[in-house]
Amino acid sequence: MKRKAMLIDESKCTACRGCQVACKQWNDLEGWSYSKTVNHGSYENPLSLSPQTWTRIKFTEYDDANNFRWLFLKEGCMHCGDPACVAVCPTKALKQKPDGRVTLERDLCNGCGYCSQFCPFGVPQLEIYGLFSGDAKSSKCTFCQDRTDNGLLPSCVKTCPAKALFWGDRDEMIASGKKRVDMLNKRGFVNANLYGENLVGGLGRLYVLIEKPEAYGLPADPQYPVLTTVWQNIVRPLGKVALGAAIIGIAAAWVIIRRNIKMEEVE
Amino acid sequence: MNGQPKESGYVQIRWIPKYTFIERFLHWVHTVSFIPLVATGLVLFLPSLQALAQGEAGIWMRLVHRLAAVLFIAEPVLYGIVQPLRLWLNIKEFGIDRDDLGWIKNAFGYYVLGKHADMPPQGRYNTGEKMNGIVMIVSWVLFVVTGLIMWFGKGIVSAEVFRWMVVLHDVTMIAAVCMFLVHLYLAVAHPLMWAALVSMRFGVTSASYAAEHHAKWYYGPKRARELYEAQKKHG
Repeated sequence: MKRKAMLIDESKCTACRGCQVACKQWNDLEGWSYSKTVNHGSYENPLSLSPQTWTRIKFTEYDDANNFRWLFLKEGCMHCGDPACVAVCPTKALKQKPDGRVTLERDLCNGCGYCSQFCPFGVPQLEIYGLFSGDAKSSKCTFCQDRTDNGLLPSCVKTCPAKALFWGDRDEMIASGKKRVDMLNKRGFVNANLYGENLVGGLGRLYVLIEKPEAYGLPADPQYPVLTTVWQNIVRPLGKVALGAAIIGIAAAWVIIRRNIKMEEVE
Repeated sequence: MNGQPKESGYVQIRWIPKYTFIERFLHWVHTVSFIPLVATGLVLFLPSLQALAQGEAGIWMRLVHRLAAVLFIAEPVLYGIVQPLRLWLNIKEFGIDRDDLGWIKNAFGYYVLGKHADMPPQGRYNTGEKMNGIVMIVSWVLFVVTGLIMWFGKGIVSAEVFRWMVVLHDVTMIAAVCMFLVHLYLAVAHPLMWAALVSMRFGVTSASYAAEHHAKWYYGPKRARELYEAQKKHG
């Protein structure tokens, strides 16, 4: 199956935040009732992703000595080609679909929160209902799995009035992203670049950026956490072998000692 | 007794104290916290138990894990508060000397094959019990530190630190459970090791058992050494 991807053209984004609203509406996420809007000296709202905000426009005030401008970034799950969250999820609530979407079934989630800590981008958000009881649920953008499963566009793509969001086969998204970067370069945006083509197994969320990723606060070289590999591919298999060997060894030792002790009694 | 032949009579056992009531009580508190902790933790470790980790069931597992953790953390702390001198006495017994090497050399033949080996004299705890105790103390510290950080530290410590805590918690579990399995086997199933469970239930151990298995504790180190050398000479 061909990998799908979302292409986000930040050179076209006007930060209307229609995507934020469409996301909340389709996914039944709370707005005002969950977190009040607070004036903190910027149009940016809310301040960060949250369990009830799976996508948002991040505003970066950028001053390149010539002029001041805003850089807009539509934050959300990157749908990595090598998703660490899927590797560490003990419930299989997080899955990587054949078309590359990293989906989350909240019914299966038990709130362990490993995904939120192993994600190289810090995307999954853990709603903690009780700190002492450990009751919690994880949440993140699923590319509207219920829509995309049925051949519809993710709700943010569907709603974007600036036509800055695209959804389709990943190869095509990369091709059109590169074309757009070329055009921007020619028009004088010398730093324009396509973000995510080869990062962490290739991101499912591709950005056309007009400045370097660092200017947006994006990691230039995000890494699949080494500890994920150490844990899942070394510690766990070895641990199972050790526990199994301990049980078998003890059973064998018991059989031997029973036989030997009986023999002594016979003597 | 009463002219009966010795074989059909009873064996007189002289009992000497080994553990206080508090020590035995807390040992069993530790047991009833450790077993549910392992059981509820394994559902995240073994894919075959995955159904129990999912959704509502998983939330219950995590709640039980936390309730048991409170007992697990409180138990040694209570011991330190109620009987600090006894705790210190026990920790002092974990010192290592050359007799431990002799024990390790002979352990397989003795405990697995059931051979009468020349076991060097042992203290209040033999080398294996000391190993168990040291693993328990170290794993307790690691479990508590990594567990509390995972429980309350999300978002406070960096993701990198949190990841280390998760992996260390797993590594600690593997070591502690392997040690626990050996401990359980020797306590309840090994045909020669009947005395340990008696002393953990009733607080006493048989004098003859202690003389044979814990000579340095029973006779004192000097006398135990003399007896051991004499025994070796006479073969």
